[in-house]
Amino acid sequence: MKKNKKTIEIINAARILSVILFSLILLTVFTGCSGIFYIPGASYGYYIWEEKGDIFVTWSADRKEIKFEGDISTDGEIKGYELIEWEKESDIIDIEKNEIDFTAELDDRDYSDGIKFSVTDYSYIEFDLKMNNGYDFSRINVGGFLENPENDIFRIEKNYFSELEKKHFYEKRPFAEFFHKLFSNRYFTFLYILIFGVIVIEILRITAIAGTSDRKKRVLWILISFLVLAAIEVCSYFLLKFIAG
Amino acid sequence: MRIKSFFNRLGSIIVTREIYNDKKSLKTLYRYFLAGLLIRLIFIPFLYQRDLLSTYQRAATTIHTGNYLHDFQQLLNNMIHVSWLFIIKTIFPAVNGVSNALLEQDTWISWLAFNSSNNVFTVISLFKILYLLFDIAAMFLILRLAFDGESEKKLQIFKFWIFNPMVIFILYVFSRHDIIGVFATLVALFLAKKDRKYWALLVLAIGIMLRFFPIMILPVFILYLVRSRKDYLILSLVGVSGLAFVEIFSLFRYGRSLIFTMLNTEHFEFLIAPKLDLVAGSHSSIYIFLAVYAVIIFSFAHLKNKSFDILINYCAIIYLAYVGICYFHPQYLLWTTPFLVIISVRKKSLFYYNWILFALLLVLLIYWGDLVTKFVFAPVDHKYFVYLTGIIPFIQRFYDAAKFANIFRGIFAGVCMWMIYLIYRENKLTVQDEKK
Repeated sequence: MKKNKKTIEIINAARILSVILFSLILLTVFTGCSGIFYIPGASYGYYIWEEKGDIFVTWSADRKEIKFEGDISTDGEIKGYELIEWEKESDIIDIEKNEIDFTAELDDRDYSDGIKFSVTDYSYIEFDLKMNNGYDFSRINVGGFLENPENDIFRIEKNYFSELEKKHFYEKRPFAEFFHKLFSNRYFTFLYILIFGVIVIEILRITAIAGTSDRKKRVLWILISFLVLAAIEVCSYFLLKFIAG
Repeated sequence: MRIKSFFNRLGSIIVTREIYNDKKSLKTLYRYFLAGLLIRLIFIPFLYQRDLLSTYQRAATTIHTGNYLHDFQQLLNNMIHVSWLFIIKTIFPAVNGVSNALLEQDTWISWLAFNSSNNVFTVISLFKILYLLFDIAAMFLILRLAFDGESEKKLQIFKFWIFNPMVIFILYVFSRHDIIGVFATLVALFLAKKDRKYWALLVLAIGIMLRFFPIMILPVFILYLVRSRKDYLILSLVGVSGLAFVEIFSLFRYGRSLIFTMLNTEHFEFLIAPKLDLVAGSHSSIYIFLAVYAVIIFSFAHLKNKSFDILINYCAIIYLAYVGICYFHPQYLLWTTPFLVIISVRKKSLFYYNWILFALLLVLLIYWGDLVTKFVFAPVDHKYFVYLTGIIPFIQRFYDAAKFANIFRGIFAGVCMWMIYLIYRENKLTVQDEKK
């Protein structure tokens, strides 16, 4: 009987592990090593990132006819370049010493295009990127999803990508916004944690704690539980203040 | 002593005498209740679907303009939301912070303004507490509808309701108000069980005023409750009295017929859209749901012993036939839930099929696009979920999204039909048991 229980536990643990492993594989497959997660033919916008010293500028549309055109210039020198998935003859690219001009169209068959290039001796790279002859900088992702520029024509400094990597997860969307709302609305947050905690303690009281035969111990455990809840409330205040304050 | 007996009485009123008198069952019920509350609490502040905002926008407009007859089609429902909004506005100033968003006429601008508000979690929670109250009332009321004297089975009903994925999803993720109408229907069922035929029909009539769906079970209600020939007429009149009242009211107030307005809405169209054309190019068609519905009603009418359990079974069959055959919105599935919860205790396999229906529903959300998929998470960070690649373009990238959803819709219909068959078989067993 004991063996059976143990076997079931092992099977359950194996199941949980396989789900975690599968999720990790999925994450790796979908995010790849690109630095930005996007799905060609489903995602819509520009995706810019750096990988092993090369700058990648790619664009994708959700199977609609969209014209992407742009100008990338720098005070350094553009060395090597490589076109990524350029299928159409009508797509144009003009690469000079310190400037790249391109016009490319995507449609229901052409999901994504891009350029990979390296730049030497530069202090900035300037981008002027349009979609269907207009600007939509919420759809220009530089170094990460929703790491959007603030102007239509924007520059990134040399160490932009390395600085971006230093950002913690809570400084990025959607966590930054979530924590900001929790902190702005702190009375609600503390009340929410309190109600949540009280319910958890009550569940513990009638299950795990109720199993203790000694009445004093039961009271002690409940007291400890409420102290832990109070500590969580205090910690969450300082944590939220640190993150979003 | 008096206080103790008062609380004893109150306890047995809330959780039924069977459970209250059995300490172990009472403790288990309390544990389920707390765990269920905890699950609900996880979703309450953070997720909602756009319709929740629309519902409260109508209520806010009613308060703002002072026109208490603003929502013509859902008069009673709107009045409940108006009252609730009025209460929470008075008690919690945070709600006033989103007033502009609630009164904004442009749906996109109001949605963005609402989600970007710092108070969004508080306001969503306050909005949803109304549904939580009806949910709690429903979970205790449903205990009284079956298995009298069997505390364990009553506990199972409670467990199936409180952990029901459909209930949790529709009320706390999807955030729709159908629970109000469902609660009225449960009250009507309770009164029908107690043989209070006029009261039962009157409450069902109120249910019909709240939401159109209880009208589907009105014929089986009448057939169950009639005791004499004249009852057919009286009960039918009482049953449609709610609708008649709203119709007369709207004719006098607006000079418009509510019934014909509703018949011309897409919701009624859902009922008659699945049809079988008799001759190509001709106008003659058979509305499939209505044909199936007629068969169900006649099948019930011809039963000699119409017990309350069989009434529950037929209500489940009607709603399953509806969602199985017709186009529906996710919240309509809540109408099947109370009946399936009770029947699942008698026939466990239905409990698992209910989970399958729920899993299929999650795939079918593709039909309604971003609004019911990624935008549900918008309160967390609306910009993130607006720009995040949605599930539909993702599927569309590899396969036609509509075809993809329709494959699962087909399976969904199949599961509904199979559940109807299982319930029908269960009916036969119940009838045989009663004969013995």
